[in-house]
Amino acid sequence: MQTGGPFFLWRHLNKLRWAFLSIVFAMLVALPFLHLYQTYVSAHAYDLLAESEQRLYDVVETLTDPFVDDPVEDLDAIKGNTWSGTFWGLQLSDPLAAAGQSAAGRTLYWPFLLTALIPVVLSMVFGRFYCGWVCPATFLYELNSNFAGWLRWAGLKPGNRTFDKRLKYGVLVLGLVLSAASGSILVATIYPPAIIGREIYYAVALGGFGGGAVFFIGTLLFDLMVARRGFCRYLCPGGALYSLLGRYRVVRIRRIVETCNDCAKCNAICEFGLDPLRDGFGQECNNCTACMAICPTAALTFTLRITDYPEQGPGHLGRQYRREYAQQDMEAAE
Amino acid sequence: MKRRRLLQELLAGAAVVSAGVLPYGIAILLAPSGPARTHGSHLRPPGALKDDDAFVSACIGCSLCGEVCPPRCIKFHARDGGGAVNTPYIDPTDKACILCDKCMQACPTEALTVARRDEVDMGYADIDETACYPWVDRGICGACVAICPLGERAISFDFANVYRPVVQSGCVGCGMCVEICPHPSKPIWIVERPEDAERPPVRG
Repeated sequence: MQTGGPFFLWRHLNKLRWAFLSIVFAMLVALPFLHLYQTYVSAHAYDLLAESEQRLYDVVETLTDPFVDDPVEDLDAIKGNTWSGTFWGLQLSDPLAAAGQSAAGRTLYWPFLLTALIPVVLSMVFGRFYCGWVCPATFLYELNSNFAGWLRWAGLKPGNRTFDKRLKYGVLVLGLVLSAASGSILVATIYPPAIIGREIYYAVALGGFGGGAVFFIGTLLFDLMVARRGFCRYLCPGGALYSLLGRYRVVRIRRIVETCNDCAKCNAICEFGLDPLRDGFGQECNNCTACMAICPTAALTFTLRITDYPEQGPGHLGRQYRREYAQQDMEAAE
Repeated sequence: MKRRRLLQELLAGAAVVSAGVLPYGIAILLAPSGPARTHGSHLRPPGALKDDDAFVSACIGCSLCGEVCPPRCIKFHARDGGGAVNTPYIDPTDKACILCDKCMQACPTEALTVARRDEVDMGYADIDETACYPWVDRGICGACVAICPLGERAISFDFANVYRPVVQSGCVGCGMCVEICPHPSKPIWIVERPEDAERPPVRG
């Protein structure tokens, strides 16, 4: 089955992922501005605006004019954030929102649960893809990780502790139990993408950040000073839910042992502290494809399997394999 | 020896549980529950579940209702509210609801469900007849009657004096009258709907 290596575009998926993350984040910033714009258009209050605001609205009108008939109504096509939003009439919600709301209300409200169906199915196929490709907090957390890299380059020591990755399942279960006990959806208050979505809205449209922004800055500091990507790895309840949904995900990353040279760059780049070098992807992998992008011998590819490959041993281009198995290979060839 | 092992396991379990509860504790500390909601300056959006605890447990805090609200009257408990943090409210003294029903259609959960504009129940306007300008004969006003989106079935002038406003049973408590009222102490105010305020028969 061995062919000429992975499809050549797959090592560029990481760039596409950054484009996705940037677009999602830019939309979260743009939507509240669109909302302000709609307000003034519908109130016919354009003349009352300051000149700078009028200029901003002229730009928005010019940009949106080819796409909409009625700026008051048609700009409603995309509303909300990644926690729950409408996308041309299609309502999508985070599975954690559905879980938290069902726990807090102790009821199953099907019209809402169905809005989480598409994300759930996608997670069962692609695992934690939401964490790598959509989550607006990931955008900031990865920039924070890069910042930690600069700090390391400058001689400072960002925190590099490790904890048990199962801690986040505890956070998820405790959050649902506490939500059911208190009757308010507590998982929403500590879930970074939900925080980002609404805090940007509060800041732009309602004149000020809320308490969630403080919590989010706390998680950034936690990542910087205690553990690399610590919140996503060890604490995020949404990440725990996505990991559970992706327990038997179909699309996985696989190491091609024949072209691997044991350089361990994949282990160093992995934001989630996984072990691609020894075929340890598991349910935690968020398909960020950073390991594919950095692999010097293109030894990582996608595969369709519901479990990881069992450990395949040292890479065939690596020093260890050459030393230990060259003799056996020769014998097998004879 | 066995007891020590048990003790260690219990301690480790307690440490894991407290580490898991810690973020929730921090999040709630960041949103202290302020003074009790005073009905009238903290109305729930139209179509909200009547029981406020049920509303809080149904609302996921996605801020969609605020994002679609044309007059931008929906605010959120952003830095306060305790367990009700991130839930929406309307302060009619600042900006009142225009009963456009966009928030009810946007809400993904049952927190806000679509209701006809004359079946919305946000409260009931109450007029302080010892302060309202026409009622104390300090001039003529009628702003509340003029602004009311529901018209005569919600508020009309008193029979004896055309400028004295009287709330009718069709009032749904949107708060437009509170927003427009020129009196600094707001003698018109949204209160809980009284039991005997029957709704008028719905017309065609």
